[in-house]
Amino acid sequence: MTAIARELDPERRDVDVSTDASTARRPGRDLRGPGRSPRRSGYAKRTPGDWVVLVVAVLLGFFIAVPFLLILVNSFKSPADYNTSGPLTLPTEFYVDGIVAFWERVDFPEKLWNSVFISGLVAVFAVLISMLNAFALGIGRVKGRLWIVVVILLANMLPQEVLLYPLYFMFKQVGLYDSQWAVIIIFTVIQSAFGTYLLASVYSTFPKELLEAASLDGASRWQILWRVVYPISRPTLSVLLIFFFIWTWNEFLIPLTFLVSNGTQTVPVAITVLQGDRLMDVTTTSASALLGLIPTLVFFLIFQRTLTRGITAGAVK
Amino acid sequence: MKHTRTLATAASLAAAALILSGCSGGDAGGDENTLRLWHYEGADSAMGIAWERAIEIFEDETGATVEFEEKSFEQIRSTASQVLNSDEAPDILEYNKGNATAGLLSSEGLLTPLDDVVDEYGWGDLLAPSLQTTARYDENGIMGSGSWFGVPNYGEFVQVYYNKDAFAAAGLEVPTTFAEFEDVLQAFVDQGVTPLATSAAEYPLGQLWYQLALTEADRQFVNDYQLYENPVDWEGDEIGYATETVKDWVDAGYISTDASGLKAEDAGVSFISGDAPIFYSGSWWYGRFTNEITDFEWGTFLFPEAELSPGSAGNMWVVPERAKNKELAYEFIDITMRPEIQALLGNNGGVPVAADEADITDEKSQELIANFNALNDMDGISFYPDWPTPTFYDELNAGLQELVNGTKSPAEVQQQLGEQYQSGVDDIVG
Repeated sequence: MTAIARELDPERRDVDVSTDASTARRPGRDLRGPGRSPRRSGYAKRTPGDWVVLVVAVLLGFFIAVPFLLILVNSFKSPADYNTSGPLTLPTEFYVDGIVAFWERVDFPEKLWNSVFISGLVAVFAVLISMLNAFALGIGRVKGRLWIVVVILLANMLPQEVLLYPLYFMFKQVGLYDSQWAVIIIFTVIQSAFGTYLLASVYSTFPKELLEAASLDGASRWQILWRVVYPISRPTLSVLLIFFFIWTWNEFLIPLTFLVSNGTQTVPVAITVLQGDRLMDVTTTSASALLGLIPTLVFFLIFQRTLTRGITAGAVK
Repeated sequence: MKHTRTLATAASLAAAALILSGCSGGDAGGDENTLRLWHYEGADSAMGIAWERAIEIFEDETGATVEFEEKSFEQIRSTASQVLNSDEAPDILEYNKGNATAGLLSSEGLLTPLDDVVDEYGWGDLLAPSLQTTARYDENGIMGSGSWFGVPNYGEFVQVYYNKDAFAAAGLEVPTTFAEFEDVLQAFVDQGVTPLATSAAEYPLGQLWYQLALTEADRQFVNDYQLYENPVDWEGDEIGYATETVKDWVDAGYISTDASGLKAEDAGVSFISGDAPIFYSGSWWYGRFTNEITDFEWGTFLFPEAELSPGSAGNMWVVPERAKNKELAYEFIDITMRPEIQALLGNNGGVPVAADEADITDEKSQELIANFNALNDMDGISFYPDWPTPTFYDELNAGLQELVNGTKSPAEVQQQLGEQYQSGVDDIVG
C-alpha cells in the first residue's frame, strides 16, 4: 500500500496545483520563478532529462502496478479460461462467479465491516495516543525522552511472531481472547509506537514563538495542545490516520490468531479460507484479493483529497 | 474549520462503531446440546458434501444442534495450539495428521486420547493398518504407535493420471509394467511431446522420486524411512535407483528441465490444458479434474508394478481435551464412518476409508476407489517423502531442482539429502 501511496501522492498534488486558484501561498511555487503560470511552465520547459525521469517513473509505476493488474485480470477469468491460457492473458469473457462465490462463502459484508471497525478504531486511537505521547516527548521535553522513544519503538521493532505468545497468554488471562478488542488494543499500541516516534521528532521542531505566545496569553497546557499544536499538526496527523488504517487493514498474523470465531474475522483472514491443504484456486483467490484491496484503495483516494488540501491550509504563515 | 470536521467525523464514526458493536467478542457456548464443529473443506468438495449430510443425520438422531464454522486450513494450521488451549476450543475439529501437527498437540495434552472410544465403536476394524499410522501417536508425539488421537475419515494416495485421447491418438495402451511405462514416455517424446507434467519447486517431483524408490523397496524400507526403525541407506538400491532414474528421465526428455521452476499448480494446469498427457500426483486433484477437464477423456492407474505408493489417511477428526461435549463429538465421528456417508464421500470424488465398493455408483469414482482399495489390500500406503523431518520438504525440492537443472550429479544430490535427512531425524529421535 505504501508503494501506491508514494506513487499517487505527487500526482495528486500536481492536480491540486493546477486546479486550485489560490496557490500563491505554496512554497513549491516559488521555485518555478516569477511571472510564469504553473501550467505553462510544466509543458513548455520539459528538458530531455525530464523526459528520462518521466519514462523511468512510468516504468517504475508499471512494475509496481503489475501484481495488481494480474489480480485484476485473473479475477474476471473463469477457471477453464485460466487453465487453457494461463495467468497472463486477458479473460475471454467477463466472469464474475469467482467474486460472487467468495462473497457468499465468507459473508463478505460482515468481514468488511469487521475490518473497517477494527482499522478505523485503531487509526483514531493510535493517532490520539501518538499525539499525546509526542506532545510530552517532543514539546514537553521530558527527561530521558530518547530512551522512552526507544522503548516505545520496541513494539515496532520486535517481529510479531515474537509478540504472539506473550500477547496470547495476556489476553487469554483477561478474557479478551477471540475478541476484536484484543486486536484493537494491540494495534493501537503498535501503530502509536511508530506515530509517537514520528510525531515526537516533528514536534521537537515546533516553532517556539508560537508556544511562548500562547502561554503568554495564559493558555494552559491542555489548551496549547488543542488550540495550537493540534490544528497546526493536523495534516501530519491525517497522514498518520490513513497509514494506520491501511496498515491495520492489511495485518494478518495477529488477527488470524486472536479472531477465532468466523464472525469476528477481518478481510485478510477471510481470504485464507480459499487456500487448501494442497490445492489453490487461482481465479477465486484473485477475486478475493481484489475484493480485499478495493476498500483500502477507495479509503485512500477519498481521504487523500481532503488531506492534500489540509497540508496547505494548516501551515504556519 | 472544514478539516476539524473531517477528523471529528472520523472520531464520531468510531464512537458510533463502538456503540453498535457493543460487546462483539465470541460466545464460547458450552450448551449441553450443541456440538461445535470446525473443518476446512469447501462446501462443494467431497468431504464438504458428505459431512454436511452427516450433520443433518446427527441433528435428526441426537436432537442436538451443530454449530458449524468453516475455517481456513491456514488458520487451523497456525493457531490450533492456542485455540485448543483456551475456552474457545470447539468440541470436534478436522486437524492435520503428522508429527508436527497432531503429534505435537497430543504430546502437549491438548487432544483427547480416543482408545476406549475406538474400541467401543469399532473404528479400528474399519481402518487398514497403514491408515491407522497417522491416527496414533506415542508420548513424544511420533506417529505409528501409542494411543489413538484422531480418526481419519478419508484417504489420499498418489497415482498416474493420463489423457485417454492423447493415448488413443498415439496408439498407446495403459502400461502394466515399468518397462511399458517407459516405452509410453518414449513414444510421446518421439512425437515431440514432453509426457510428464511435474514440478520440482513443489511436491510433485518429490513424490515421483519417492515412488521410484518405492518400486525397489519393501515395507521395512518405509518403516525405516518414515518411522526411524533403522537408519536409511542413502547410497542404497532404493534411493540410488530413484535419483538415477529421475536424472535419466530428464536426460531422455520425459521430464522438462523447466520443471525445476514450476509449482504444483503449473503442473496440474498443464495436464488440464492437455499439454502434458501424463501427470503423476495425488487423489486431491481428482475433483478438480472432474470439474475442469471438459475437452478430453482422462483416466487413472496406479504406478505400474509398484506395490507401495505414496499416500496416507487424510486429515482427521480430533477431539480437543478442553471440548465440552465429547460424547456428542464421538457420536458425530461414528456417523461419518457409516457406509452411507462414506459412499457419499466416494461418489463425489473423495477417497473414503471405509466404503463398500458396491455402494459407489459413480463410474469414474469407482476407478479411483478401486485403485485406493487395491493399494490398501497390498498394505501399500507409504506416506510422503517429506514427512520424516520438519524441513525435509524444502530440502528435497531444492535437491531435486539441482538434479533437474543438472547443477549436481545424482550422487551429490543423494549425499546432500542423506545428510539433511539424518540431521533432521537426529533432532527428533535424540
